[in-house]
Amino acid sequence: MTDIRKVAVIGAGVMGAGIAAQVANAGVPVVLLDIVREGAANRSIIAETAVEKMLKADPAPFMSKTAARLITTGNTEDHLALLGDCDWIIEAVIERPDIKQALYQKIDTVRKAGSVVSSNTSTIPLATLTDGLSDAFARDFCITHFFNPPRYMRLLEVVQGPVTRPEAVAAVSRFSDIALGKSVVACKDRPGFIANRLGVFWIQCAVTEAIDQGLEVEEADAVIGKPMGIPKTGVFGLIDLVGLDLMPHVMDSMIGLLPESDPLHAVHREQPLVSRMIAEGYTGRKGKGGFYRLNRVGGAKVKEAMSLTSGEYRPQIKPDLEVLTATRGDLKGLLASSDRLGRYALRVLGRTLAYAAALVPEAALDIAAVDEAMRLGYNWKWGPFELIDQLGAAWLAQHLAAEGLPVPALLRLAGDRTFYRVEAGKRQYLGTDGDYHDIVRPDGVLLLADLKLSHQPVLKNGSASLWDIGDGVACFEFTSKMNALDPDTMALLGKSLKLVAKQFKALVVYNEGSNFSAGANLGLALFAANIAAWTEIEQLVAAGQETYRALKYAPFPVVGAPSGLALGGSCEVLLHCDAVQAHAETYVGLVECGVGLVPGWGGCKEMLTRWSAPGVLPNGPMPAVAKVFETISTATVAKSAAEAKELLFLRPSDGITMNRYRLLADAKAKALELARDYVPPQPVELTLPGESARVGLKMAAEGFHRRGIATKHDLVVAGALAAVLSGNGADVTKPVKEEEVLELERSQFMRLVRHPATLARIESVLETGKPLRN
Amino acid sequence: MPNYQAPLRDMRFVLYELHQGDALAQLPGFEDFTRDLLDPVLDEAAKICGEVLAPLNRVGDEEGCHLENGVVRTPTGFKEAYNLFREGGWTGIACDPDYGGQGLPKSVNTLVEEMICSSNLSFGMYPGLSHGAYLALHAHGSDELKTRYLPNMVSGEWAGTMCLTEPHCGTDLGLCRTKAVPQDDGSYKISGTKIFISAGDQDLTGNIIHLVLARLPDAPKGIKGISLFLVPKHLVKDDGGLGAANGVTCGSIEHKMGIKGSATCVLNFDEATGWLVGEAHKGMRAMFTMMNTERLAVGIQGLGLAEASYQGAVAYARERLQGRSLSGTKHPDKSADPIIVHPDIRRMLLTMRATTEGCRALGGWLAHALDVEHHSGDTEARQEAEELVALMTPVVKALFTDLGFEAANFGMQVYGGHGYIRENGMEQFVRDARIAQIYEGTNGIQALDLIGRKLPAHAGRYLRRFFHPVADLIALKVEDEQLGVFVQPLAKAFVRLQQATGQIARVGLAKPEEAAAAASDYLRLLGLVALAYMWVRMVEVALPKVGTAEDADGFYRAKIGTARFFLDRVLPQTGALFSAIMAGGASMMEFEEAAF
Repeated sequence: MTDIRKVAVIGAGVMGAGIAAQVANAGVPVVLLDIVREGAANRSIIAETAVEKMLKADPAPFMSKTAARLITTGNTEDHLALLGDCDWIIEAVIERPDIKQALYQKIDTVRKAGSVVSSNTSTIPLATLTDGLSDAFARDFCITHFFNPPRYMRLLEVVQGPVTRPEAVAAVSRFSDIALGKSVVACKDRPGFIANRLGVFWIQCAVTEAIDQGLEVEEADAVIGKPMGIPKTGVFGLIDLVGLDLMPHVMDSMIGLLPESDPLHAVHREQPLVSRMIAEGYTGRKGKGGFYRLNRVGGAKVKEAMSLTSGEYRPQIKPDLEVLTATRGDLKGLLASSDRLGRYALRVLGRTLAYAAALVPEAALDIAAVDEAMRLGYNWKWGPFELIDQLGAAWLAQHLAAEGLPVPALLRLAGDRTFYRVEAGKRQYLGTDGDYHDIVRPDGVLLLADLKLSHQPVLKNGSASLWDIGDGVACFEFTSKMNALDPDTMALLGKSLKLVAKQFKALVVYNEGSNFSAGANLGLALFAANIAAWTEIEQLVAAGQETYRALKYAPFPVVGAPSGLALGGSCEVLLHCDAVQAHAETYVGLVECGVGLVPGWGGCKEMLTRWSAPGVLPNGPMPAVAKVFETISTATVAKSAAEAKELLFLRPSDGITMNRYRLLADAKAKALELARDYVPPQPVELTLPGESARVGLKMAAEGFHRRGIATKHDLVVAGALAAVLSGNGADVTKPVKEEEVLELERSQFMRLVRHPATLARIESVLETGKPLRN
Repeated sequence: MPNYQAPLRDMRFVLYELHQGDALAQLPGFEDFTRDLLDPVLDEAAKICGEVLAPLNRVGDEEGCHLENGVVRTPTGFKEAYNLFREGGWTGIACDPDYGGQGLPKSVNTLVEEMICSSNLSFGMYPGLSHGAYLALHAHGSDELKTRYLPNMVSGEWAGTMCLTEPHCGTDLGLCRTKAVPQDDGSYKISGTKIFISAGDQDLTGNIIHLVLARLPDAPKGIKGISLFLVPKHLVKDDGGLGAANGVTCGSIEHKMGIKGSATCVLNFDEATGWLVGEAHKGMRAMFTMMNTERLAVGIQGLGLAEASYQGAVAYARERLQGRSLSGTKHPDKSADPIIVHPDIRRMLLTMRATTEGCRALGGWLAHALDVEHHSGDTEARQEAEELVALMTPVVKALFTDLGFEAANFGMQVYGGHGYIRENGMEQFVRDARIAQIYEGTNGIQALDLIGRKLPAHAGRYLRRFFHPVADLIALKVEDEQLGVFVQPLAKAFVRLQQATGQIARVGLAKPEEAAAAASDYLRLLGLVALAYMWVRMVEVALPKVGTAEDADGFYRAKIGTARFFLDRVLPQTGALFSAIMAGGASMMEFEEAAF
């Protein structure tokens, strides 16, 4: 099997450059070429500019700025020879077959034997792309369709041609899976592949029906959104994001390629309103506005929306959503409702689901592929077949028939069965043969969700569970709402540590929520503070410190395996682990200062320990204290696992897993590796600089205050943090024990939690989600 | 027949010594209200209440109101007393000076209200309801409506009512059916029936201004479709004179357990002309703005009756001779010892006294907060005061009226059989006190308001306004050489309150019914802790005075003695309440409905 050690991307547009960045994020060198701009002095300016732009972009395509160094930029006239040692060459140029084919001819002259060439086309069939090219080229060619933005969207659609070498596809798929972190979905060579084929149908259907039924965009987006597990942008908000002008292009190319009998023809209709908006420059967020816009009226910003009925902008309305409230959590109830919004939901979702059923096996090998494509390509919470199971296949078929709509064969085949089922602890899907088949995970993929189908937790309470994930490894899972940490979490963690010591070799702290944890349960903390339950709060702080210390010094290794946000108290768990295996998209930070507190569960202590370890920083204890002060006082959150290493939230030796599905298996492997000859760490003693450092840090904070960067309460919080980090009057010649730093964390935390400005900050975060800068 | 004497000494203690009433004059708009102006107000109020209103209390009860030819006749003497009351300016003491009122601080007005309730609750209903209508109109009426109606309401020439309840809707006003149909001239035609309308009709004033909840033709269903209308008994001409009778008639008056001198009317509105007050469909919001003030006022009724009953009971216990003291004869010169020597009589008297003085202090705290809320120039202080008021209003309403009823009952018990007969007036206090637990939102509803709205608001922010001062006092004084022994019982009860609060907040999120099952016990628990907090603060003020010339009359010594009784003998009820709350509601909710 070809190993991919070097990659080339040709075409430095948004997609091409983003793909190159993700390859670099994986630590793999990548060549990025684009054409020579006419008359340009710098013949590689396009590719170079693309990289520069990406270094400033937010959300960032790079996980670490250092990754940009792995990209070699150039142009397709002078630097084609750079492709000579690339194992995979990705074409991401303009969607014109003639240009693509001419490029392939050039590539073919320089690429090494056995290298794979793929196109990132979203609409052109593979057959068209390889038409007229040599068989040898076609054997090495496939389509790899990334989604925008390539770093964050986890779907990769792969299409192979009739002569494509299976090993070529396997190599690219494996690399994309493990190194790039993508979930690879094999697609047939059909227009729009899977996600866009269904996505475009869905969008078109939703727009057409909304206009036909006289709905407003706010109503449509409220229906085609949360109730269906679809992002709250709904459909019109989504069009604004991708661009109104892009839609007709994609639509036209698909319409041209699909037979008249395809249901897409039935929903395809030019909407005069949309055409007018595009002509006038209202192309969405990138243009003057879209279906939604922020308009300035006499100095004030007004949220406006395009009225589908009048064709004019007007202030946004709050639609009457009684039917949505009444049927909350009951999709079937919504679709069955005779209310106009219920009718709309049925007309749009019913037809979209029917279309999904028609795509198997025409465009997808099985239903699981369609569901994965929609979950990861369009961020749907549930795939179409999971949605059908919520409604019942028979129910849907009956309602489609009642609407005079065709019932696809697959839906009839399902009859009154579900598309998914759990049999003997295994999740199965319904195949086109009418039988159920196990969903098989690739090697190196271990999911708690799968394990739960056949296992019971070893321990469990309202906020956490402990699982046996095999081979002597236990897994501690947060289960509370938003995975917030509370007294129950601490209690079960304490209990788990005792049990693991007796019955297991190692522990992994991991969960499958979208976020590892946003930290301690602030609602509970604020309520306790409001009723002046200081003793309980102090006990909670002390219990956290004690539990995390017990975790650190446990007689077995503990591996943290975070993904998504790992803030505050959950960052502190990771800091106490022997090792961390982090998903690349992990956002770690000690954000306590943002809510007017200081880290109280050993976060200060562990960060001081890391930064003052020998060889990290020169010149005595002060630089470490200053560095930790800077990181914590500004509530810095690392924007990737790679960045977390730079901030020492993760150690250099900690692992990073690119593919979310592989995180638990990787963490488990790491835990087992550590379990061999495991020796718990020895407590360290710190040298802290004392009073002069405290005064110095305080003065620095006051400087920020004078410059308007730090607020009044920031000063109070910074003062408390400075007291902890400096050792509050510590003698620089005497080592400070861990317990003493913990004691300082606790006393400063308790001082701050009584402060009304801190309580106002916590309340603001709880009620508005926004930090209060008081 | 109890002879009411306003407890001016204690009132001044609460106003000036406990709550720094002198500082009221520092609030914008209160500059004139220094002690030398406020003291005479209290003296005068004591005089009219003791000399004019109190003697009419039994008359009102015996005679009651009568409906004659569609018009209510109030008991003998009420009209004359009302004229004196109005001429003395008492109808407008708490009203806006822009409309002829005196703008007195709530802190002072609350004390005057207490005196009125002690002396003659039935009589007090008439100006009391007027004041409620005044507040709603003042807060929400258009300038035109205010100019036309408020001056005469403030002067007492006219009275006002609040017409909310209908035959099928009391607590759940969303069911209200009274209709309001818009007319071309901007007025409305109001039709429907309102019941339980206190002071709905009377012969004391020239006109009655009814504020009526009704539904517009396009109104949304439920509570969000209710609007407030002003409907005068007699239409008012442009020159301010009275015009034709409006379509409002009193259909009948209720026969009640107590407050018989107050007319409780069925009012029929038959295409009566009315005007919208505030915004359409926002009638309930208009109600809520005066609700806090009104609920405090009803709480004060409980306090007032407890005070009146206490005065009667003490007088009787001193003079009634029965049996001998168990520790040896105390009055050998008499045929028997006065019953005040007996422990159980003392238990009842001290319970009553601890109730009245504690509630007076707590009501004063809340009234002071209302003054800050409405007059302070410091926005933060205003908001904090508003939150304290929001939290404590349901507590004060329910706690004061429950304790007031219990106190009145003790007062009657002290009299023995002589309390049960009408001549001595003690049973009237019991009957009169009973309604305050019911109207203006039953005490059960107050408890639900506390746990359902006030407790969870902003993750418990309202609680902070009470819990933090208490926690701070405990932390500061629990080790204090002298005050410590008083603080310790408070600290113990406070921990129970914190635990119960945490429990209800946790359980209430998941199971609202569990929280509701604990509501009434919780309100009482919070209320007792609030009283204990007041008692400790009163001791803090009184201790330094004991043994000085200022304590020549023994006032401060008695204060400390009452505090000891409350902390020793009343506050331990919190233990039982705590146990009941923590036991949960399963024993109630799992009981089969058919088995009732």
